[in-house]
Amino acid sequence: MRVLLHTGKGGVGKTTLALATALAAAEHGHRVCVLSTDPAHSLADALAVPVGPDMKRIADGVWAREVRAQTELDRAWTPVQAWLRALIREDADALVAEELLAFPGIEELMALRAVREAEASGAFDTCVVDCAPTGSTMRLLRFPDALRIFMTQFFEIERRGARVLRPVVRGLGGGGLVPEEEFFDAFERLYEEIDDVQRILLDGERTSARLVVNPTRVVVDETRRSFAYLSLYGVATDAVLVNRLLPEVAAGGYFKSWRAREEEELAEIERSFPVPIRRVSLRAREVIGVSALAALGQDLFGEQDPAERLHTGRPLRIRRAGGRMRLEIDLPGISKEEIDVVVKGADLHLRVRDGRRSIHLPDSLVGRDVERVRLREPTLEISFADG
Amino acid sequence: MRLLLYTGKGGVGKTTTAAATAACAAARGERVLVVSADAAHSLGDVLGERLGPEPTVVAPGFEACEVDARYVIETHWGRVRTYLVNLLRHQGIDEIVAEELALLPGADELATLVSVEDFAASGRYDLIVVDCAPTGSTLRLVTLPEVAHGGMRWLLRLQRAAAHVAEPIARGLVGVPLPKADVFAEAERLLFETLGSLRARLLSDETSVRIVVTPESMVIDEARRALTDLALFELGVDAVVLNRMLPAEALEEDFFRDWGRVQAERRAEVASVFAPLPILEAPLAEDEVRGAAALAEHGARLFGERSPSARLGGGIGLRFERGESGGWLRLPMAGRDATGLDVTRVDDELVIGVAGRRRRIALPAGFSALEVERVSMEDASLVVAFGSAAPPGGGAR
Repeated sequence: MRVLLHTGKGGVGKTTLALATALAAAEHGHRVCVLSTDPAHSLADALAVPVGPDMKRIADGVWAREVRAQTELDRAWTPVQAWLRALIREDADALVAEELLAFPGIEELMALRAVREAEASGAFDTCVVDCAPTGSTMRLLRFPDALRIFMTQFFEIERRGARVLRPVVRGLGGGGLVPEEEFFDAFERLYEEIDDVQRILLDGERTSARLVVNPTRVVVDETRRSFAYLSLYGVATDAVLVNRLLPEVAAGGYFKSWRAREEEELAEIERSFPVPIRRVSLRAREVIGVSALAALGQDLFGEQDPAERLHTGRPLRIRRAGGRMRLEIDLPGISKEEIDVVVKGADLHLRVRDGRRSIHLPDSLVGRDVERVRLREPTLEISFADG
Repeated sequence: MRLLLYTGKGGVGKTTTAAATAACAAARGERVLVVSADAAHSLGDVLGERLGPEPTVVAPGFEACEVDARYVIETHWGRVRTYLVNLLRHQGIDEIVAEELALLPGADELATLVSVEDFAASGRYDLIVVDCAPTGSTLRLVTLPEVAHGGMRWLLRLQRAAAHVAEPIARGLVGVPLPKADVFAEAERLLFETLGSLRARLLSDETSVRIVVTPESMVIDEARRALTDLALFELGVDAVVLNRMLPAEALEEDFFRDWGRVQAERRAEVASVFAPLPILEAPLAEDEVRGAAALAEHGARLFGERSPSARLGGGIGLRFERGESGGWLRLPMAGRDATGLDVTRVDDELVIGVAGRRRRIALPAGFSALEVERVSMEDASLVVAFGSAAPPGGGAR
C-alpha cells in the first residue's frame, strides 16, 4: 500500500488537494482510502456529504474516514480509558471529564493506528492522509520516538512501581488510582503497533509526503522548515503542490500587481524545494463535492498516476564524493546556526532547530571522524575522514 | 493586566491578527507582549525578526516571543530534571536531556501555560496577546491546568502513601530511588500554584478569547465547534475577527463574481453563529502584512476607534450543564418565547430554527448519547433539556 501524507500550513487547501489526489488515483484503478487525522476534520465539508469514524464509500474506488480520538478510545482502549476516567473524575465534573479523556498526543496516536489498520485490512492500494497543520504533523512524526523514550526509559519502572504500590494505595482508599496490569499490557501492544507504522512511514517506497503551499511568503517560509523536519525524521517528500494561483483570466484589473508578487513567490518555491512542483489555480467558485474535486485532480496530475513516486530521491543519503564518504540531508530554509552535528559511537546526533534525531551509522562509517560539515543550500553535507 | 487569546482554524490569519492587536495597542501607549504558542511558529516571520523564548523588543513598548518547551524545561524544572537524570543514571543510562522530555506529549502546552503565567505575573505588561495553535490544540491548552491538577493530586496522594509505607519496600522491589519531597514540592509549586493561578486568570474578566474566521464554510464550521468547547470550559469570547474579505473592487472582476455572492452569505452566517458578539472585518490585502509598523496600521484599521485591549463584547452566554442522567443547554435569547422555536438534534449539532432562520450549535462529546427531552424559555434564555432515554417517536421535541 502506498501512503501519501498531505501536510502544510493551515488553510492552504490540504483537504481539498488530498481528496483531489485520491479521486485521481482511483481513476488509475487504485482502491483508495482517505484518512483525515486533523482533529478539526474538514472532509465532510469539502465533500458536502457526512463522513464519520467508519470507512465510507464516497466515489468509485474511494473510501473516506475521519479518525476521531474519542471514538477510537471508546472502541479499543477500555483499560487505559478506565484508568484515566478514575483519575480525572477525582477532580473534574462529569461533563468536562469526557472532554479531558482526549489527553495530549492522543490524536497523533490514533492517526498512526488508523494508517496501520488500513494497511492491515488489505483492502486498499493507496492511503491518502489529510494531516493536521504543520505543528501537529511534526508531533505526529516524532511521536514514535517520544514513545520509544518512554518505553525504554520509564515504562518498566512504572510497571514495577505500580505492582508494588497497587496494594498499598488500595489499602489507603486510593481505589483505581494505580493503573491495573491490563493498562500496561495495552500500552505494550500499542507500542508494537506504532513501531509498525513508523516502519511504513520511513520507507520511501511506501510513503511519500506532499507539501501543499500557497504562493505567499509566510506560507513558503513555514513550508521550507516543514520539508527540513520531514527530512530530519526520515520521511521522503516527493512533491510540492502549489494551490490557489491566480488564474490568467483574473490576473488583470484589480489583481494586476498581485500576479507579479505571485511570480516572485513561485520562483522562490522552485528554488527552495529539490522535488517536482505541481500547480493548480484558484477556481471561480469553492471546490466542493466529488465532481469539482475530481476536475481539480485532473488539473493537478493530468495523465500521471498520483500514487506513483513523483521523486525518488531519499531525504538522507550516503555517497562517495571526491574520495570521501559523505552523508547528505536536504534541509531547505535552515541556517547553519540552527544545525548541530555530534557523532557518538555508532550514532550521529543531528539537531535542526527544535527537532532532533539519532541516525544509526552504517558499519562503514563507524569510528571515522567527521571531517567537514557544510551547508550547500538546501543540502547539509557531512563528510567523513577516510578510515 | 489584560490577556487576549486568539484562536481559529489553521491559516485564517491568527498570527497576523494577534501581532496587529499587539502592535496597535503598543502604539497607543500600552506595554504589550505577544506570545506565539503554535509549535510551528510563524510570529517571527510576520514580525520580520528572529524570536526566541525570552521577549525581544520589536518596537517601543512592544515585545514578542515564541514558546520553546525545551527552554522552559531547562529553566523551570531543575529538580524534577535532576531527579530524572539520577533515575536514569541508576538505570545505566548516561544522561537525559531537556529535548527528550520536550518530546513527550503535552510538553508544548505545559510550556506555553507556564510561560504565559510567568509573563502575566511579572507586572511588566498591560496586555499579553497569545497567538494560539490551531483550534484543537488551543482547547487542550486551556484544559491542561485541569488535567495537570488532577494528575498532580494523584501523584501527591501516591507520594504521601509511598513515603510513609512503601518507600523502603518500593526501593527494594522496584530497584530505583523514588522522588524525594523536594522534587514533589517543585512539581507542586509549578502545577498547583502556577497553573492554578493561570486557571483563575483564564476564567476571570481579565481574559478574553477572540475567534478569527475567514468567509469559508470549513472555517466557520470549525469556529462553531470551538464556540461550544469554549463555553464548556467557561472561557469568555469578546469578539470575532472576520478576516480576508475580498474588497468591493475585487468583486467587480468577472472571475470573482461568484465569490462575492458566497462571501455575502458567509458574512450573514458569521453574524448568526456569533450573535451578539461584535464582528470586526479585515480585507484581504495584496501583500502580507509584515513588520511592526505595517501591523500597527492593520490593527488601527481593524479596531477603528476601539481600544484593541478593551472588552469588546459581553459574550454569548452559551452554557452546558450535566447531571446524573441528563444535561441542559442554556442560550440567552432576549425577546423570544418558546413557541415558534423549532429545536431539533441533527447528528452532533442542535439546530434551532427561529423565524425561518436556523442557528446551529455543536454539542459537546458528553452529550453524544443524549436526546432532546424538553425545550423551554426561562429568564429570557432558551433551555434545552437532554435525557438519556429517547422519548417515544425518536429524538426531536
